[in-house]
Amino acid sequence: MSAMALRSLNLPGLGTKYEFETEKGDTVAIFFTKSGLIQMYTLQKGCRTPSAAEMTPVEARRLGNILTGAIIEADQESVEIAFSALADLRITIHTFYVPKSITGKTIEELQIRAKTGATIVAVCRNDKNIINPPPAFAFETGDAALVIGESDQIRRFEREIMVD
Amino acid sequence: MEGFVIALFVCLILALITKYLKVPPIPFYILAGVLLGKSGLGIVQSDELSRFFSDMGLIFLLFFMGLGLKLERIAANRSAVLTSGIIDLNVNMLIGFVAAYLFGFSLTESLIIASAFYISSTAMAITSLIENRKLMMREAETVIWLMMFEDLVLILFLAIISSGNQNMVFLFIKIAAVLLVLYALAHWGKEFLVSILDRDDELPILFTFAAVLTTASFAIVLEVPETMMVIALGAAFATTDPDAFEQHARPFKDVFLVVFFVFFGVTMDLSGGADPFMIAAICILAIVSKLISGLITGIVIHGSALAGIEIWGNTISRGEFSIALAALYGSGLVATTIAVMVIVTSIVGSFTAKYCSHLRRGILHFGRRSPLHRPHTYR
Repeated sequence: MSAMALRSLNLPGLGTKYEFETEKGDTVAIFFTKSGLIQMYTLQKGCRTPSAAEMTPVEARRLGNILTGAIIEADQESVEIAFSALADLRITIHTFYVPKSITGKTIEELQIRAKTGATIVAVCRNDKNIINPPPAFAFETGDAALVIGESDQIRRFEREIMVD
Repeated sequence: MEGFVIALFVCLILALITKYLKVPPIPFYILAGVLLGKSGLGIVQSDELSRFFSDMGLIFLLFFMGLGLKLERIAANRSAVLTSGIIDLNVNMLIGFVAAYLFGFSLTESLIIASAFYISSTAMAITSLIENRKLMMREAETVIWLMMFEDLVLILFLAIISSGNQNMVFLFIKIAAVLLVLYALAHWGKEFLVSILDRDDELPILFTFAAVLTTASFAIVLEVPETMMVIALGAAFATTDPDAFEQHARPFKDVFLVVFFVFFGVTMDLSGGADPFMIAAICILAIVSKLISGLITGIVIHGSALAGIEIWGNTISRGEFSIALAALYGSGLVATTIAVMVIVTSIVGSFTAKYCSHLRRGILHFGRRSPLHRPHTYR
């Protein structure tokens, strides 16, 4: 694969522009404006008028997550929060759908904290949220679990607990 | 004091409405000022307080301009910036100057009107490029560099016109010396400056405010124009952490500049008997001359007159810098002429910025066989 040429340009009074052409000849341009909003333009090869989308920083990060493959399914997502005041503490919150293999098991039985270090902070069941589920809480099929921890702990959780 | 609060409150409402309608607020601030002020209802008078705030508005506007100067980047982009900049300068200065002179203004007055006529609003151009999603167009970059070039010309113009009776060479040497001292301070004190800017208490914002005011007040001692001092300070600070300075100076600029615009309207004297025909002619010329310079730039830089329509549409608006020139050097009729020009061009400009792409497509559609355009693509 040929290396794509990424052009970055600092535009005075406006912000930073990143632009690259894909192998197929389409062009993608991203502008980080000084107001904090991010505009993304895509121009299909042979077209004259680009189409544009304006995003807030949160939306842009979300798009970034999708593009880097951090989100496996559309309804599973992961957010990383950095607390720069606390020695650059980084916390990840990830949603998981409970697989059949752990249906009926409790948090205590699965030894989630001991095995992975991650913590389940909430479970969404039938559009109702259960915040801070107790150790005796048993999972059901269709539950969505919100897990908090460092990115390593989340990865371990995914590998050891979320196995089909 | 009550008048000041009323003016501020009216501006707040106007800001809400213009943001909602996505139109530039500056013409409406001025209009509100005229309506409230001595040429209108007479509710608001300018006083010590409003004059101080207005001065601050101007100072912070120029400080921001200094912060935004990216000389090294202009140098890197020299050819394109210079070509479009010189076309824009020559066409608009010339038309503006000749028109003003023929309408009976004195040489100096004509020069001030011509400069206000020439300089487009950087704020409005950039806002309209973002809001109308035009950043990816090739012309957008041309417009941005054009604004930068205009800023440089404005600085030169301010230096020349403010020299007054002083020896110009001596003044330029003094300005250069001030700039050198400030650059040296910024260079050697960079670590200190950055350490102050990094704090999250009141220090960064206090420091920024104090630095701007202190530098401005040195102007009297050194007999260097205040305007030059704050631009020089901005340019020197731009070598450290311009984004942080912008962030800390923005609240001051945002508030004081609104006061500046509204009180410019309040103090505007319409009793001088302005000739509506003359002012209308200047306004129309202001729009036409940017079309001419836009078309030439389009042909020279992008190889397409149609690209010039895009440049035209986004540079019609005159704004903050024209008003600054009027407030600094224009009196009576000159200030009125410039104010009306700003109001008309900025309102027309907000529409052309939105619809010039349609216009351009329309021309392309109807004139398939016309020799006016060459095949042109974006990017």
